[in-house]
Amino acid sequence: MIKRILLYGFLIITSILTLIPFIWMLGASFMFDGKASVFPPIFLPDPFTLTQYQILFERLSVWRNFFNSLLLSTIVTLIYITFTSMAGFAFAKYRFAGKRVLFNVLLSSMIIPSQVTMLPLFLMLKSMGFINTYMAIIIPGLANIFGIFLIRQYCISIPDSLIEAARMDGATDFQIYRKVILPLAIPILVTLAIFSFLGTWNDFLWPLIALTDDSMYTLPVALANLMLEHTKDPELMMAGSVVTIIPVIIVFLALQKYYIKGIMMGSVKE
Amino acid sequence: MAEVLLKNITKIYDGGNKVVTDANFKVEDKEFVVLVGPSGCGKTTTLRMVAGLEEITSGEIYIDGKLVNNLPPKDRDIAMVFQNYALYPHMTVYENMAFGLKLKKVDKKEIESRVKEAARILGLETYLDRKPKALSGGQRQRVAVGRAIVRKPKVFLFDEPLSNLDAKLRVQMRTEISKLHKQLGATMIYVTHDQTEAMTMGDRIVIMKDGIINQVDTPLNLYNKPVNQFVAGFIGSPAMNFLSGTISEKNGLMFESNNSEFKFHLTSVQKDYLKDYVGKEIIIGIRPENISVENNSETSIELDCPLDVIEPMGNESFIYFEIEKTQFIARVKPLYELKVGGKIKLYINPEKIYLFDKKTGNHLFNHSR
Repeated sequence: MIKRILLYGFLIITSILTLIPFIWMLGASFMFDGKASVFPPIFLPDPFTLTQYQILFERLSVWRNFFNSLLLSTIVTLIYITFTSMAGFAFAKYRFAGKRVLFNVLLSSMIIPSQVTMLPLFLMLKSMGFINTYMAIIIPGLANIFGIFLIRQYCISIPDSLIEAARMDGATDFQIYRKVILPLAIPILVTLAIFSFLGTWNDFLWPLIALTDDSMYTLPVALANLMLEHTKDPELMMAGSVVTIIPVIIVFLALQKYYIKGIMMGSVKE
Repeated sequence: MAEVLLKNITKIYDGGNKVVTDANFKVEDKEFVVLVGPSGCGKTTTLRMVAGLEEITSGEIYIDGKLVNNLPPKDRDIAMVFQNYALYPHMTVYENMAFGLKLKKVDKKEIESRVKEAARILGLETYLDRKPKALSGGQRQRVAVGRAIVRKPKVFLFDEPLSNLDAKLRVQMRTEISKLHKQLGATMIYVTHDQTEAMTMGDRIVIMKDGIINQVDTPLNLYNKPVNQFVAGFIGSPAMNFLSGTISEKNGLMFESNNSEFKFHLTSVQKDYLKDYVGKEIIIGIRPENISVENNSETSIELDCPLDVIEPMGNESFIYFEIEKTQFIARVKPLYELKVGGKIKLYINPEKIYLFDKKTGNHLFNHSR
């Protein structure tokens, strides 16, 4: 019982600590200029105002940036999930020449920091003529070994007999992938989708490098530009942050219930 | 309908591991053939080659007269029931059964009628909307069978379908599958390691050991006329007792165990087969049910043994005793007065003794009766 109280106490305190900056951000975004920069910090806006949002939408083409972010995050996530799940399935369940070597090479590429690859990547995309287009964001996000690895590990836990049963039922390889593997891999796919969506949405450095035009900017890049102009305007900054964060929170809340679903239960008996 | 023919089938895995050697047998139309043998004998591999899930190293498999070596499973018109059921966990019972038909683009109404019919046969009508995880083991296995039935395949393949069920359910499902076989009039190949399942279900049984087919015959022929010591020991429960010894010439041919604890004169029929074995070692086999507590014949061999263990089964008792440090089991009428440590007189009819070549294990004499 005491153990339980301690545990819950710990969880409550860490939750509060985590939430405080968010609450402050939310509160500050509804304050007039200069009201937020006080100590101790105040959380409730008094008086309440929407001015910051008004300024935000006037100064920035927020809708345009929001659309860019949403479009890119969605496209990247969909393609990423498709490619990594196919590759992960293949690495887990097919036998082909060089499979082990190929996988190990891919896996070892995980140790290369992404910043190192940025310059060559930029030059490659430039030679393809993709700089300052959506393709500059989409192409590097098509697939990565982290996702392939995760899906592969998950697919390994799907019994072979299930795939064989589908094959006996007359399913082609693609039908097995689509009708058996994908539905069973939903928990891991959702996890990856969240990673990918959040990653693309929050990514700052790469879009900053690859996109040069205002109208192509994603929200974080646009927000950063705002910051440079308005360093002494935390209320406005917070309004921008709220706009940036809300969609991600919605995506996460909508998908999180699939996280822990024990979907494999009852299929086979080992 | 459909017959299955295996011609010189051999399977060698990548590492050079030979798991099936030169398998030849034919499954007649509407026949129920059981592949049986200890684990690792190649029976499941053989079945999987028929299914098309495993490549054939050499040899030919014909289904319904058609060479299927290079046909993928879906074009062989067969259905398989897996040991671990292999149900699609994200689909309901109905969808599980309908999956194969949907892929074949069968008409929706036809699918519905076939699934309902299968569900009726298997008693699954009330479970059609459930997911596999909400079913018991027996029900899941029934769904797996149903998934095979709805496809109306030429041949049904079963890969140890009952080994995950508890003992009582296994007996029940055993009879259900036998009934189903008669009801559907289908050709079935069934793999098991359980000799009781093989004996009770099969029209014919294929006995395998170390990738080699030892004998293909009806259950009773296997029991009565095993071709070698392995088959004799595998079929029958409790298993046959074996004892090695030598044939010598003493007032006619005589078998004598190594320490002379057990000896008997060969019967006139047996002698004919063993003329060339004088001075050679052989192995005799005695079924537990052929050891009796009553002396039924003048020629019976009498044993006076100390009792090691008694296992009363109610309708019968298993008696364990030793001859020359070899454990013997006798299956006798229930004897309530018996006590461990005491002695008991047992009788064996020499006509019922099996004789095997020690080197080859081959049976030297058949009880054709």
